[in-house]
Amino acid sequence: MVNGKTDEKVKIDVKDFSFYYAKSDKPALKNINMPVYENRITALIGPSGCGKTTLLRSFNRMHDLYPGNRYEGQILMDGKNILSDDIDLIDLRSRVGMVFQKPTPFPMSIFDNVAYGLKLRGIKNRSELEGRVEKALKQAALWDEVKDRLKDSASGLSGGQQQRLVIARALAVEPEVLLFDEPTSALDPISTSKIEELVVSLKESVTIIIVTHNMQQAARVSDYTAFMYLGELIEFNKTDIIFTSPQKKLTEDYITGRFG
Amino acid sequence: MDLKRRRKIQGQIALMLSTLAALSGLFWLVFIIFDVLRHGITALNLDLFLEDPAPPGVPGGGLRNAFVGHFLITSVATIIGVPIGVLGGTFIAEYARGTKFARLVSVLSDIMVSVPSIVVGTFIYAILVKPFGHFSGWAGATALAFIMIPVVLRTTEDMLKLVPWTLREAAFALGASYFHVIKDVVYRAAATGILTGIILAIARVSGETAPLLFTSFNNSYFTLDMSEPMASLTVTIFNYAMGPYEDWHEKAWAAAFIITVGILIITLITRSIIQWRYKN
Repeated sequence: MVNGKTDEKVKIDVKDFSFYYAKSDKPALKNINMPVYENRITALIGPSGCGKTTLLRSFNRMHDLYPGNRYEGQILMDGKNILSDDIDLIDLRSRVGMVFQKPTPFPMSIFDNVAYGLKLRGIKNRSELEGRVEKALKQAALWDEVKDRLKDSASGLSGGQQQRLVIARALAVEPEVLLFDEPTSALDPISTSKIEELVVSLKESVTIIIVTHNMQQAARVSDYTAFMYLGELIEFNKTDIIFTSPQKKLTEDYITGRFG
Repeated sequence: MDLKRRRKIQGQIALMLSTLAALSGLFWLVFIIFDVLRHGITALNLDLFLEDPAPPGVPGGGLRNAFVGHFLITSVATIIGVPIGVLGGTFIAEYARGTKFARLVSVLSDIMVSVPSIVVGTFIYAILVKPFGHFSGWAGATALAFIMIPVVLRTTEDMLKLVPWTLREAAFALGASYFHVIKDVVYRAAATGILTGIILAIARVSGETAPLLFTSFNNSYFTLDMSEPMASLTVTIFNYAMGPYEDWHEKAWAAAFIITVGILIITLITRSIIQWRYKN
């Protein structure tokens, strides 16, 4: 769907992808085709109920937690279909991390939160854990604020700090892809801009897909934008093209605020 | 103006009635506790804990057999009841969440909570006392465990359901298996609530008499053998309070005192755990 040639490397390729929620014959996502480029930020935008979160949650197969949900088509990651039955979900989810709308610190210390994913992978060596926790917290721009209280409960942090902690937790296991589901919608403007800066800085090491309600945010942080409406992908292109000269009338109406 | 005054009077009447109701409830509660303390404290002495009962009519002796028996029966009941209750609650709140079977177990547990404890006693009598031909500590512990299980199960279920789903999803998203999600995240988040439920269940069964009458019955001698009839504080209170000797009545008061204080301490510990938790 992208116009012109691009020398970007495709990390994830969504092919004829449809999704059905349990007990529903109507697809929540209809025949989606789009690439996700490596080390780029792809924003999914569109009005409420358009399916952007549903699509996001397909990339780490979160829908498998609820029986009866159905996928059709393919989502290829590095050429391998992550929707096939022989995919190990635990392995997939350690390659594709996720950050949620509301901060989700676990009821444990700051250190243990970040170390949790590492411990799940069997890393027990104390100095290795410490090194990787520090690295992840630095990547998430939280280290300076928490380095003296790593043993304190994570629930004592502010909302913005908790969200950065959760990002550090996801980064600690060195994922290839990071999914953000409206990561700033529960935060104040200052925390929001910190998270945005952080997201942009992370694309050097991971591929990022971000769902956002906030069009300015999509314009500020993303390289590519997908506009969705009623379960369909209306338009996918470089972010500056989507926001300056969209090809479809519907896209233009949405980004100019005529509906949404 | 008239309406305003009427509302004011109505409010005052409601306040008066509810204050009276609270005071009358409180009065009897304080009266009972005070009475138990007053009679119990005077009957307390070291022999009570160190000696076994003297033959009827002979002065002296203590209730060592009942203290030890009570502790053993309650402990074994806890060891049987708590794991089954917690795991059962985990099953219906997590693995079987939303299924008809889970709802059935939940409703049945609610019914079991309100079954009179003497019914549980007679049931255990039929399956663990009659076939073996004698009362036993095991039967008593099983009866108490049966009373504990639905209480612990329902508390566990309720506490697990209070843990927000996004927390589980966040753990799944890190690549945790369901077992790890429950063990590392959900249990931690619900720990205070589950612990409170367990302690309150222990407090509840440690005051039971009826189910023990049919199961562990009583024993005037000291024993650590759970396959024999076993004395407990509650059954001892029942027997001694009904007995003809003044000396027995005193001991019954003392036992009642110990049990009351024990349950009071357990409840206070629970409260302080909850308070500590909310401070952190």
